[in-house]
Amino acid sequence: MTAWLDTIDPYVWLAILGVTAATFITRSSLFVLGARVQFPPMVEAALRFAPACALAAIVAADLVFVDGQLQITASNHKLIAGCIGIVIFSYTRSIIGTIAGGMVAFWLLHFWLPLVASAVERRRPRTCCHQIETIIQR
Amino acid sequence: MSKSSRRDAALRGARELLPLSPGIFAWGLVTGVAMVKSGLSTLDATILSLLAYAGSAQLAAMPLIATLAPLWLVTLTAIIVNLRFVVYTALLRPHFTHLPTGRRLWLGYIVGDIMFVRFTTLLQQEPNYPHKVAYYTGGALANWVIWQVSSLIGIFAASAIPASWGLELAGTLALVALLVPLCRQWPALAGAIAAAIVAVLANALPLRLGLLCGVIVGIAVALFVDRELRRRGASPEGGS
Repeated sequence: MTAWLDTIDPYVWLAILGVTAATFITRSSLFVLGARVQFPPMVEAALRFAPACALAAIVAADLVFVDGQLQITASNHKLIAGCIGIVIFSYTRSIIGTIAGGMVAFWLLHFWLPLVASAVERRRPRTCCHQIETIIQR
Repeated sequence: MSKSSRRDAALRGARELLPLSPGIFAWGLVTGVAMVKSGLSTLDATILSLLAYAGSAQLAAMPLIATLAPLWLVTLTAIIVNLRFVVYTALLRPHFTHLPTGRRLWLGYIVGDIMFVRFTTLLQQEPNYPHKVAYYTGGALANWVIWQVSSLIGIFAASAIPASWGLELAGTLALVALLVPLCRQWPALAGAIAAAIVAVLANALPLRLGLLCGVIVGIAVALFVDRELRRRGASPEGGS
């Protein structure tokens, strides 16, 4: 993440108040409004679809950018972990399983895979490869 | 209505929530850790958790707050992610209309996904249950306590966890778990895919307005697919 936020930053306080206001607006306004509110069907449908769209937009932006760069490749471990999370949830319906499985996948790719790769690299007989490469180049 | 039977109903509400508490706990823990790992101080994360009490909205607002996006966009994002509660409270409202306004205000505040499901299940099984408000209050308060305790543990544990572990990803994965069941119908799935593509393509826009563009296009696509399916007489059920 780019900014490590300051405790005394009024921006952060106002942002906290904004999210709190969002809680009250969405949860309490219909309870408090006495009169019976009937949404037009179009608005009701939009209300139904909005959360899925918002979450998809946020999740996608979180997963495909690495240090601000668009990275839709196998080297983006966040993206692979997110896809694994989608698969896990689709089959198990388990929130804990999705979080745990996605994180384990991320850690394996991030910490374990480089170790394996460097171990393989060390074992490979370099001189032999060099000879083959020079032969091919000729 | 005696006081003790209302208390029994509240305890019953809390008790029937307990089997679901591991899920609430894990979710709260992840939200707490992810808030701090995204850049909030321990104090700010605690205040946000105690005041807003909205896991997905907090997690969704975090990347915006961390990039200092405008406050109206932070608030709007939290509102959009929370819009499902408008649907819940529209359905719950008839059961609470007889109560005073102040009481309704805070009964609304403690609405959660899980308690909504529990309460509607109760009403299906026992439509004439006399202490439904007490039942709801007990369960929703238990949910609040479990959530806040786990969230605070996450907030205070987060500083001990190295940044290289990438634990803010756990917050994104929690949103994935919330997103997938919302996409079970074709219109929502199409809208979600459109929203994701537009949000990524428009990411270069200032003030993180790309997210808003994604949401607007996504809702339009979902409404369009929904209308087309209805027009052709097909059921919008399906999808993954």
